[in-house]
Amino acid sequence: MLNMQQATVKFADSVALNGLTLSVEEGKVFGLLGPNGAGKTTLIRSLMGLQHLSEGSIRLFGDMLPGSASSRTLIGYMPQLYAIYDQLTVRENVRFFAELYSVPSALINDRVDELLHMTELDNKADAILHTLSGGMKRRAMMATALVHKPRLLILDEPTAGVDPILRIKFWQWFRKLCDQGTSILVTTHHINEAEQCDDIVFLRAGTMIGHGTPQQLMDEQQVDNLDQVFIRLAEQTEVQA
Amino acid sequence: MKSVLIARRLIREITRDRRTLAFFFLAPLIVMSLVYFALLEPSSARVALVTEGTMDLFRYDLERTLEDEPDIELVSPDWELPEGYEAQKASLLKWTRSGEVDAILYLNTQLLIDRFDGKPGTVNLFLEGSRPTRTGAALDAVSSAMDDLGSAMPVVIEASCSSLCANSVNNEAMDLEKIYAYGDEDLDIIDFFLPVFPPFFVFFFTFILSAISFQRERVTGTLERLMMSPIHFADIVIGYVMGFFIFASVQASIILGFVLYLIDIPFTAEQVFVLVIITFCLLLVGLTLGLLASYLAKNEFQAIQFIPVVILPQIFLADMIWSIEDFPKVFQVFSVILPLTHANQAMRDVLLKGADLWSIADSVGILLLMWVVLVAVMSLVAKRNA
Ligand SMILES: Nc1ncnc2c1ncn2[C@@H]1O[C@H](COP(=O)(O)OP(=O)(O)O)[C@@H](O)[C@H]1O
Ligand SMILES: [Mg+2]
Repeated sequence: MLNMQQATVKFADSVALNGLTLSVEEGKVFGLLGPNGAGKTTLIRSLMGLQHLSEGSIRLFGDMLPGSASSRTLIGYMPQLYAIYDQLTVRENVRFFAELYSVPSALINDRVDELLHMTELDNKADAILHTLSGGMKRRAMMATALVHKPRLLILDEPTAGVDPILRIKFWQWFRKLCDQGTSILVTTHHINEAEQCDDIVFLRAGTMIGHGTPQQLMDEQQVDNLDQVFIRLAEQTEVQA
Repeated sequence: MKSVLIARRLIREITRDRRTLAFFFLAPLIVMSLVYFALLEPSSARVALVTEGTMDLFRYDLERTLEDEPDIELVSPDWELPEGYEAQKASLLKWTRSGEVDAILYLNTQLLIDRFDGKPGTVNLFLEGSRPTRTGAALDAVSSAMDDLGSAMPVVIEASCSSLCANSVNNEAMDLEKIYAYGDEDLDIIDFFLPVFPPFFVFFFTFILSAISFQRERVTGTLERLMMSPIHFADIVIGYVMGFFIFASVQASIILGFVLYLIDIPFTAEQVFVLVIITFCLLLVGLTLGLLASYLAKNEFQAIQFIPVVILPQIFLADMIWSIEDFPKVFQVFSVILPLTHANQAMRDVLLKGADLWSIADSVGILLLMWVVLVAVMSLVAKRNA
């Protein structure tokens, strides 16, 4: 599904991605973990062609280039910020994105209802976005990212600033979507919650410092949670450097 | 047509924002009314009466007549009038230029001689001329006082004069000669300024609205989501133009209607049609320039900085209030690239000179050309960023 070779992104005064080589299979919940500033957002943006690579290459779904028209329709994207229209109602927002992605008009109503139901926003469907809480906005954003039944759903810090109950729900939804055939790529700096991923990568200062299933990584480091894994891995890379 | 989608969304967003909507439609009306009254309300003008020779004898009566006029204030500076007509005229011009008075009404012996000769005779009015409202007030007051001034003039009836002779007493109206220190006799002030309101407001508001909404779309990240979706950048731009076009057209109609209602000049349906075309072209330019400005801006502050950068030069250099001919040559050349220069020109031609579509085709052509260039620049910038 995703194949990166030596992907590097340099900014004027920093290196956000440092020669990342990585491949991710389809049909999984893939977690991209790391502290703030690790380069998670930069990696995601380069997957979608929003950020140019300084070096290296990325291919999606076989041989598609990031940002190509064909790859764009296959991806659903939920950015880190509240990128949604504040003056529109939840339903209007979801409809807008459905029409944007050319969902056939006969199917739109059902699709919108289905997503509002899934994100438990049925009774807020006609509320204007800026009247909603942060958690509701996040759910509405998720609905807008899913309208066109993407093959890959990319979520950048969906659980940042979200209450614990909703965080658990989000992970349940990811699992359910994955079971229904949507691959998930999710970033988070709440490292422990990524135990529910099938596959995870630890990122630190633009470098990959660990890759595997949560269980594998915990076994390797002989600890019982992912936070500890990250701390061990970070210490080891520091020693090497 | 994905652009329809964008347009519909924008319309929805804006109609929900009542305050912006009110600002958009009411602000021009309020500002126009203020300017209208500011220009309409005649400020009282300071007028000095200067008499010479035998005319001094009638000074008292003349002063009474002028004092009856409501819009002028009669002042009497202690000037020393030199001998000889030409020298007097030079002094009067100098005094007028000094700004101490707005106008000087000058009556000399020659007037009396002419009147006795049965000629109308000439009254000289020296006008400062740079402040149109004051000049207008002085001019209005003196013109309306002319008849009374005439009757304040002495008539000479000889003892031998029969009733027939008495009837032949000179009652011809006197000629009024206006001498301007600055400027010249112009169009009515209000009529001259009214035509530039619609282009200014349409341009100003569409520019701001499109610059800010597009900036917001960028900052919140929704633009990135649009770019990620299967939509062309051109569709987004066209969608913006279509969405705002609705509001801008309603706004333009209100402003045009208001101006046509205020303006003191008869106009035809064809003229109104031509005005609509000019407004439409300007609207396209304003919208696209707004998008470009916010596209070039890195953040909200930079986007806001574009507002004065784009608007201020046009207030000064687009022949709105100050004539561009009074500026150095460099500015005159520069003014050619300002959209409002062409819109103002065309609006005045149509409303004041009754020009038809063909005679303002060049202005319309230039505006459309500007639009095409802006769209091209916009796509280049977008491509570079992508
Ligand atoms: N547009 C940019 N210009 C300059 N530096 C950037 C830019 N975007 C990100 N960075 C830098 O790249 C690094 C990684 O940022 P980011 O990918 O946002 O991290 P994360 O999403 O993991 O918190 C940070 O040091 C950040 O300062
Ligand atoms: Mg981030």
